Amino acid sequence: MASPPARARVLAAGLLSAALLGGCGVSIPTDPDGTLNRVRTSGELRVGVSPHPPFTTLPATPDGEPGGTEVELVEQFARAQGAEPEYVVEGEEELVRLLEEGELDVVVGGLTSKSPWSKKVGLTRPYLETSEHGRTVKHVMAVVRGENLLMSELERFLDEEAR
Amino acid sequence: MTSLARAMSSGPRHGTHFGRTELPEDVQEVLRRARRLEWVSLAYLGTGVVLVGLVMGSSQAMQAAWIEDLLSLIPPIAFLVGARVAANEPDRAYPFGRHRSVAVGHLVAAVALLTMGLFLVYDSASGLIERDHPPIGTMQLLGQTVWAGWPMVAVMVYTLVGPVILGRMKLPLADQLHDKVLHADAQMNKADWMTAGGAIVGVLGIGVGLWWADAAAALFIALSILHDGWSNVQHAVTGLMDRTARTVDDAEEHPLVGRLEAYLDSRPWIRDHHTRVRDMGHVFHVEVRLVPRDGRADLARLTQVGDDLRAMDWKIDDVTVAPVHRVHEGETRTGEGGR
Repeated sequence: MASPPARARVLAAGLLSAALLGGCGVSIPTDPDGTLNRVRTSGELRVGVSPHPPFTTLPATPDGEPGGTEVELVEQFARAQGAEPEYVVEGEEELVRLLEEGELDVVVGGLTSKSPWSKKVGLTRPYLETSEHGRTVKHVMAVVRGENLLMSELERFLDEEAR
Repeated sequence: MTSLARAMSSGPRHGTHFGRTELPEDVQEVLRRARRLEWVSLAYLGTGVVLVGLVMGSSQAMQAAWIEDLLSLIPPIAFLVGARVAANEPDRAYPFGRHRSVAVGHLVAAVALLTMGLFLVYDSASGLIERDHPPIGTMQLLGQTVWAGWPMVAVMVYTLVGPVILGRMKLPLADQLHDKVLHADAQMNKADWMTAGGAIVGVLGIGVGLWWADAAAALFIALSILHDGWSNVQHAVTGLMDRTARTVDDAEEHPLVGRLEAYLDSRPWIRDHHTRVRDMGHVFHVEVRLVPRDGRADLARLTQVGDDLRAMDWKIDDVTVAPVHRVHEGETRTGEGGR
């Protein structure tokens, strides 16, 4: 255990460097792996879709695109970032694995705030509340865990949409 | 439970007495101030716990700081309960008084700290090892969407300021009351700014994209909780082991012990003596065994010794003076007292 003055100095240095970084044009929050910047420069948002009508529906034709309210929302979000969505339709577990490996940016599929994946992915703040079987269900989307700029921008977008 | 309730209702003795000992006016005033400060601490920390709970989200550093704030409610409660219980007059059920309530409170608080410290070290270290990237998104505040890190920092600044001031104010009172729980509480409060500062560094670290900053800050906070817990367990246990009375910060033997012995040394009619001073919490119990030079027990002289010792300090009230033929081999003090 370091002596109190030494710890204090370490802490002061930490505070100072955080302040400096903040002052040097690093935006807060930032994605540790730069996901949103990559989306904006490459023009591609990789979206995982697990079917869960009416939020997400399977493509009508094998080559078609999925539909549903959440797919429409994500498409608008992608456009707002100057990107096009690229869909991967899979089961939830596989999508979570792809998200963890950084192969996807966003996953939609009627996810709720009670999702068991909450320790593996970053769940957004609920954007919609519905009532199912007399219980309130809070609907969320999933992003790469810890990519906080992406998450913040998506939440901001969903807030705007809710107005 | 009923006997505890009875002990709590110490009535008019509360604030003026520790057991049989009536406190001098100035010490009563110190006790009043200490109690007021502890109530203020509870209110301040209570609001802090609520605010941190509202904004902490999934930041490990914030969660560690929240648990620390929650734990720091225990010592003020232990002090307030202990001072109240200790006010009771000794009775048949508790012939030595209820001074040990302070030590009990101290041990309970210390074990809570130690346990939480261990848990948090494990939790934050595994966060680092698993390379968990904590998500901190936004929250809605007054209709605005803001990054959730900013309210976290604001709340931590709030919990940073109060305890430091309160801790500095409590420290001298703990010395005057000889209350180890109050001392431990003041020490923890004083160090609390590092917890809050650590959480701020962690949250801002995440903000600028350093995913490990949060878990590292949580580890730092956990280690400081562990350190507090360990040193407090040591102090509480050695106190309960009837170690000779020490200063409230446990740094050295209490100077009163030396003064008692010096007084006994200075009596020409005492050939040898052996003194045991037990810190009951607030007050000392003193047992003096002495060998009179002329081999006779003179009641007036023995009473005088008791009165003189009691006059030294309010903490010395319960004094037993026993004349003996000889002080046991191996128990004598070495030094100027001699035989």
